[in-house]
Parts: sequence; C-alpha cells; structure tokens
Amino acid sequence: MTRALPFVVFLAAGFTVPWIGSTYALGVGLQLGMWIALTQSWIILSGMAGYISLGHAVFFGLGAYFVVMTWEVIPIWLSLPLAGLITFLFAVIISVPVLRVRGPYFVILTFGIAELVKYVVILIESSFGQYSRLLFGTPEIGDLYWVMLALAIAATALSYWIRFTRFGHGLLAIREDEEAAQSIGIPIVRYKTLAYGLSGIIPAMVGGVMALRTNYFEPEQAFDPIVSFTIITMAIVGGSDDARGPLLGAAFFTFLSEMLWASAPQGYLIILGVILIAFILLMPNGICGRIFPPAGSRI
Amino acid sequence: MFRRLLLGLVTAIALTGWVSAQAADPVRIGFSISETGLFAPGAAKQIKSYDLWRELVNAKGGLDVAGTKRPVEFVKYDDQSAPANAVKIYEKLITDDKVDLLFPPFGTVMHLAIVPLLERYKFPMVANTASSVHIREIKPGNIWFTSPSIHDKWAEELVKLAKQAGVSRLALLSNAIPPANEVRRFIIPELEKAKIEIVVNEVWPPSINDMTAVLSQVKKAAPDGVIVLSLPNDSVLYTRQANELGIDAKFQFVAIGPAGAAYRKMFGPKLDGIVMLGHWTPERKEWPQAKEFYDAYVAKYNEPPDYLDSALSYISCQVTEQAVAKAGLDLDKLRETISTGTFETINGPIRFKGVENAVLPVSFLQHQGGKIELIWPSSLATAQYKPRSK
Amino acid sequence: MIDILLSEQLLAAAIITGTLYALVALGLNLVYGTMRLLNIAHGELVMLGAYVASSGYNYFGISPLVGVIGAGVLTGLMGAAVYIFLFRNLLVKPELSRRLEANSLLIFFGAIVILQNIVALAFTGTPRGYRYLDGVIHFGGVALTENRLAGFLIAAAICLATAIFLRASIVGVAIKALIQDRRAAGLVGINVDRIQLLSLTLGFSIGGVAGALVSMTQEITPFMGFPYTMAAFVVIILGGLGNLVGGIAAGLVLGFIQIYGVALTSPQWNSILLYGAFVAVLVLRPQGIMRGGRGVR
Repeated sequence: MTRALPFVVFLAAGFTVPWIGSTYALGVGLQLGMWIALTQSWIILSGMAGYISLGHAVFFGLGAYFVVMTWEVIPIWLSLPLAGLITFLFAVIISVPVLRVRGPYFVILTFGIAELVKYVVILIESSFGQYSRLLFGTPEIGDLYWVMLALAIAATALSYWIRFTRFGHGLLAIREDEEAAQSIGIPIVRYKTLAYGLSGIIPAMVGGVMALRTNYFEPEQAFDPIVSFTIITMAIVGGSDDARGPLLGAAFFTFLSEMLWASAPQGYLIILGVILIAFILLMPNGICGRIFPPAGSRI
Repeated sequence: MFRRLLLGLVTAIALTGWVSAQAADPVRIGFSISETGLFAPGAAKQIKSYDLWRELVNAKGGLDVAGTKRPVEFVKYDDQSAPANAVKIYEKLITDDKVDLLFPPFGTVMHLAIVPLLERYKFPMVANTASSVHIREIKPGNIWFTSPSIHDKWAEELVKLAKQAGVSRLALLSNAIPPANEVRRFIIPELEKAKIEIVVNEVWPPSINDMTAVLSQVKKAAPDGVIVLSLPNDSVLYTRQANELGIDAKFQFVAIGPAGAAYRKMFGPKLDGIVMLGHWTPERKEWPQAKEFYDAYVAKYNEPPDYLDSALSYISCQVTEQAVAKAGLDLDKLRETISTGTFETINGPIRFKGVENAVLPVSFLQHQGGKIELIWPSSLATAQYKPRSK
Repeated sequence: MIDILLSEQLLAAAIITGTLYALVALGLNLVYGTMRLLNIAHGELVMLGAYVASSGYNYFGISPLVGVIGAGVLTGLMGAAVYIFLFRNLLVKPELSRRLEANSLLIFFGAIVILQNIVALAFTGTPRGYRYLDGVIHFGGVALTENRLAGFLIAAAICLATAIFLRASIVGVAIKALIQDRRAAGLVGINVDRIQLLSLTLGFSIGGVAGALVSMTQEITPFMGFPYTMAAFVVIILGGLGNLVGGIAAGLVLGFIQIYGVALTSPQWNSILLYGAFVAVLVLRPQGIMRGGRGVR
C-alpha cells in the first residue's frame, strides 16, 4: 500500500486545494500541477528511453504560442487539445533528423532546437509588430486549476501505465542498449519517435494553460531554458525511473520556489543547481530510488 | 513556511511596539521595480521619485486617507527587468501580500504586461513611464496613462518639428525594442508625407555595444537631421560615438536619456542643441509645483531629476495621493475618482479621458546653454527651438 | 545592398568575429579533445573572464589588456581545480566515474545555472560596460574602434601561437597524441594525467582570455555566455572534434556566416543564424567539413 501512497496523497491534495478558498493557494496548486505534468512527460522520453532532453521548454512554448495566437479565434476547449496535437506533429516531423543524432550530441541538440525555435518565434512576432501578447478575459484561475489538475493526472497516468506496455518495455530496452534492442526486433525508430511525440503533447497543453493564467505571452519567458532546467532537476531529485518521482520532485521544488522566488531568485536557482549536481553524483535514482528501491517489481 | 512564521512573529512584536507609539496602520503600497537587468539604469530614477514622494508625504504626517493620516510603507520587489516576473510579483502583491495600493513598474513593456492582471483583479493603478498605441485597446477602468506621448501623435509632432527646423535629409536610427519600433512604424509614413528623405534607416538590438558601422554610414550620408529612437543606454553610446565620428547634423533628436542627470554629467556642453522627449520643465512659471519638486529632488539626491521619467513617476504618485484623499482606499471609489477628477501636479492640472491624459500634449525638450527648455508645442514652450551649432 | 556586401567594413567585422569565435572554440576543443568532455558551460568561462577584466578596470583602473592575464589565470585555476578535485579524485571510484560520464552534460548544465546566478548575485544582472581604447582608427575604407582591433590582434596571436605550439613543442605534440588516441598515448610513455591537467587548465584559461577580450567591446551580463557556447560547438564540430587547427578555420567560417548573414537579412537574424548553424551542423554534417577530425559518434 505504501507504494501507492504518493499517488493517493497527491490526488487527495489536488481535489482539496480549491476548497481552501484562497486565490494564492490555487496559484501554488497550479504551479505544482504544471511541474508534475511537465516532469512526467519528460520522463517518457528521457527517463525511459534514455534520450535526455535539455530543451523540453520548446514544447511548452509552442503550446503557449498556439493558444495565444488562436485566442478569441478558437474556443479554449478546442485550442488546448489542438496545441497538443500540433506540437505532437512538430515533434514527429523534426524527430526524423533529430533522433538520428546520438548520445550527448542529442542532448545538446535539444537545447539548440529550443533556442532556435525561440528566436524564430521572436522573429515572427516582430514581423507582426508584436513583442508580447496580452490576453484579456481569460478563464478564472479556479477553472484553469481543474484543467491543470486533469493534465497532471493524465501525465502521471500515462507515465505509470506506459511501463506495463510493450512500448514501455521497448523504451527501457532502447535505453539499456539500443543496438541490442534493434537486433531483437524492437522497432526502435517507431518507438523513439512515438516517445518524442508523446513527451511533447502534455507540455504543450500545459504551456497553453499557463499562458491563459498569466494573461501574458513572451517568447523569452515561454521558451526559457530555466523551465527545461527545472524539469530535469525535479526528475533527477524525485527519481526518473518511477511515476512517483516527479510527484516528489515537483512538490519539493514548488514549495522551495514559493519561499524564495520573490525575495532571493538567484539564491533559489543556485540551490537548484547545487542540488541537481549533488543528486546526480550521490543519489542518481532520486528520492524515489531511496524510498522505493528499484530491486524487485519496478512500477 | 519558516519565513512566514518568522515574519509573523516579527510583525507581532513590531506591532506591540507600535501600540506604545502613536501611529495608525500604515498604508502599504506595492510595486516591482527593475533593480537589476536591462532597465535598471532607467528604473533607478523612478524609484528615486517614489522614495522622495514617500518621504515628503510621511513628513507631512502621512498619506491622507479620506481624512485620516496614515504613514506610507512600500512593499517592493525586484522584477529583474523581466516582464514575466512583474506579472507574478503583482499577482503576489494583490493576492498574497494584500497591499492597499499599487504603483507601476518601470517602462512600457512592464506596464502592458500587468494590464490584464489589473483587469482580472479589478485593481486600479495610475501608470507613469509607459506609452503605446496599444493602450487605446485597453478598456478603461483600472489603469490611466499619465504620459501624453502616445506614439502615433509623437511621431506626427516630431516630424512637424523637424520640418519646421528645415530638415530635408534625415537619418533614422532606432532601438529594436517594441516601444521604439512602434514609433518608427508611425514616423516613416509621416516623414514621407512631409517629403523628408530618409537617407539612413537602421535598427539595432537593445544589447548593442558598438555603433561604428552604422554611424560611419550616417557620416557618409551627411544628413541635416538625425532622429535616434533610443533608450538611455544606446543614447549614451550614440552621443559618444557620434561625437567621435564627427556627425554634425544641425537637428539631432535623441529620444530617451538626455533628460537624465548622468547623461548630462557625461557630456556637458556637447549636449547643447539636442532635442528629446519630455513634457516637464521647472522653467515654466505656470507650474509652481515644478520648481518645488526640482529643488526637493536636488536637495535629496544632489543631482537634477530626469525631466521625463522622474517627473512622470512623481506625477503618478501625486494623482494617487489626491485620489486617496478623496476616496479612501476603497478600490471602486478610487476608480471613480481617478476617472473623473482633475489633479494638480508638478506638470500642471491633469485629468483623464478614458485611459489617456486629456490635458498634456506631446512635447519636446531641448538642451540650451546648460538648461533644459520646453520648445514644443508653442502653447507651452519656455523657449524657441535652436539648431545645433557645431 | 551589394556595395554594403562588398565593403571592407563588413569583411573586417567578419574576420574579427571569426577570430574571436576561433579562440573561444580553441579552449573548448582542447577540453573535448583530451577528455571527451562536452563542456556546455564553456561560455560561462568567457563570461567570468569578461567580469574579471571589467571589474579590474572599473574598480582598480587596471587595463583590460592586463586584465586578460588575470582572467586567464582565474579560469585556468578553475580548470586545474576541476581536474584535480573532480576528475582525478572522483574518477577513481568506478561508480561515480560512470555516473559522471553519463551525466556530465547535466552536471555542466547545473554548473551553468550556478555560475550565472552567483555572478548575478554578486554583480547584479544589470549590464555593464566600460570604455577603454575607444578611439576610432581609420584605414582603408574601414573604421574600427581601437579596442576591437586590440582584441582581434591578441586573439589572432594566441591562435597562431597555439598552432605553432602544437606542432613544434614536445608538449604540444603530446597533446595532439592524446587527442588522437588516449590509450596509445599512454603506451608510448606520455604522462596522460599531466597532459590532461594541462589541457583542461589551458582550455579553461583560453575561455577566460576570450572573455576579457570581448569585454572591451560588448555589454557584460551574467547571461552573456550561451551564444559563445553555441558558437564554440558549431566551430568544433565543423572543424572536426579535436582538430584544433581545423577549429581555427571553422571559427572564421562561422564569423563570415553570421556577419554576412545579418547583412543580408537584419540584426534580428543574428541569433537565428547562430543557433540555426548549431542545429544544422549537428544534424547534417557530423563528420565536420575539415579533414582530420572525428565524427559525432
């Protein structure tokens, strides 16, 4: 039962927050949901398949951009899923050249792509004479919270469920030894592409929700490398081999951030960096790796 | 978590200490300012105005809140020149810190970023260092722009001034930052209408550090007028490198920066003749508060105020102050009062129509013999435009 | 348009930019070639060098041309420290060593964030600049500020000296040998440990030196490092990983691409060209376009 405890606790907390009746609490809850959803999606590609993405913010930003551009043109209940779909297609299309690059080069390539897309969006915006977009009349924070909760639950469910599928096992095999996996007949190209695409859908929708929440879109912020960096840190600290890892990692850093982001923003990031490095060297399986050791049945 | 506990404890102790003293509850005014980052040099002048205002108000016994005087306290955060941070901070100020009033951040970009937020929470705020045609798209109600320099009007007036100054061949240089770019979009067709030939047309990134290439072009083209749509940093760079390369057009307009103290200190007499954006000057006798503000500022900071940003920031404080005196801290009443009232400021009387300043026209200043005079429009001018002699 | 493209001003700018890129990449290449480390924090060394030089000038009045030495020493010491404490000690433990190599990129990413924010905390994120040697020199049809010229000359000198060093001195040859085949180098009696220490120190140091040079001509912020990292990677891949001389040529190529690209389009394309080159190079030509390098395996 203890194995399922984190899921239960987070689910319960997720449904309780709105009843606290504080806008501030809803804001924090939204943040937490966002990070959980982002990190779980990241794990599908980087934790399970071992293709570490240093530029995951690109999906977040694309989703946000799509929602912002179609604001008041398409209703939200349509634009959010569409954002996810379009980002999925984008990921699949660029995966053709991108996934051919292996190892550490893939990692830095993902970073480069995120930055490139960012500057392209800046250029597009500038050609429209825009710099940032303001959204008026977006949904109440309470409503957005439910959407984000749904996304977080979906991402966690996906991350959990995948491990039981053939697809998931295939990804793990790819991570361990790609050539061997190929030689035993695993369709590595198809699986990698699918993982890449899947890891982008929910982040795109999350990006859209956040754009609606802040009423403000700016490429520098939507495609911020710090978003990518935070995702990785949460995954490593929480544990990237487990669907519970992101829950713990996200919770830890969301609360740390709430205390520090306004008064000591640089201090917060320094702590983030130090913790990341410490965990990589000392506890690479994250907190989850400690509490729920991987030996035996892996969730 | 801990911090909150500690804060609560400290506040409790402080409050008990307060009881033995006299005071009423302080009025908490929240804002974020760019203490670091790209906008920091500009924002520095704004915070100085804010601090001066708070000092003067507290010296008089506090802010008049519909009859009761209460001391003013600032709740301030650094947005690090990132508009996204400003959005988060203002939300925190409203929902977590629960401040009584809001003051604006620095700059057009920041102002616009928080407008939807103000709408969402229905929190009124008087703006200062911002101007953009986009403000007309904003439903009036929670923000009022004190700056008269809306970009399309500004562009129009500037071209009129240039035409009157006899400019026929012009170099148009601009920072890529959106407000500057906006002016540029309006100025180009105006220049064409006025039959002024644009001989050089360049845009540079905000982080530019060397203008030699661009300015060599300008020197070669030898225009008789140069318009530089710049921020404080590139204004400095432009002036210095233009002097070095010997650009001596008789009409030189440098948008933002030359009205500030540091700039004047750096260039001294070389500034003479430079025209810039601004609508305030202590030289105008019809605005008695102007000289008072000037003197108070110099007394406190040992340097003159920036004629654009320092003045605007102080004006927004004054409007807020006078509105609160009438309406108290009730947000709905405040909104009503600001929308309909007339306010006596260091820039003369001000009132708003919708979101715009209904009284002040677009104006320009010029450095003349060590002083800054208002040269346009003639209805407000304290001196006539003089071409640069070089 | 054509006369701008053919102008000597643009040519000079391209050569100068290219040389600086070559210098930055040289440092990265030394580190990668000998230790197979993709140091994505390399741009932060440039940033640190810039801060050393500008602080030296702003607070102590020390000329940045002298500050170059200080910057090089500081970052060089950092390189030595990283090698001695991180690699020499940690790599002894097989468990940690495995984790290190697998995750070195993430560790460097963490280092980037830490470095950027420590500097931001110490110096604030407000951009700094200073004026030094900013008289304008004219020769031919070219107008240059003196500091750009100085930066270029010093960068070119270092690149040249390094090229000669690698060819002519025994230590230089040893470095090349190590880059080529580490195990074989050890077998022929090269003190691998010492050469690695030297390479890391030198590589980091060159990064700092480059930073000091660019500090004279550009705005200095804690976040100025990324573009240099990107440029360095483009250059070392184009020139062939580990091919130090090829990297110098590739640096010039990148300088040309960027300067002429911007002239043909607009300053807003600056970053797109840089990052676009980065992505393209990784995706399309992993072997590099110069001979003598090893590909992206």
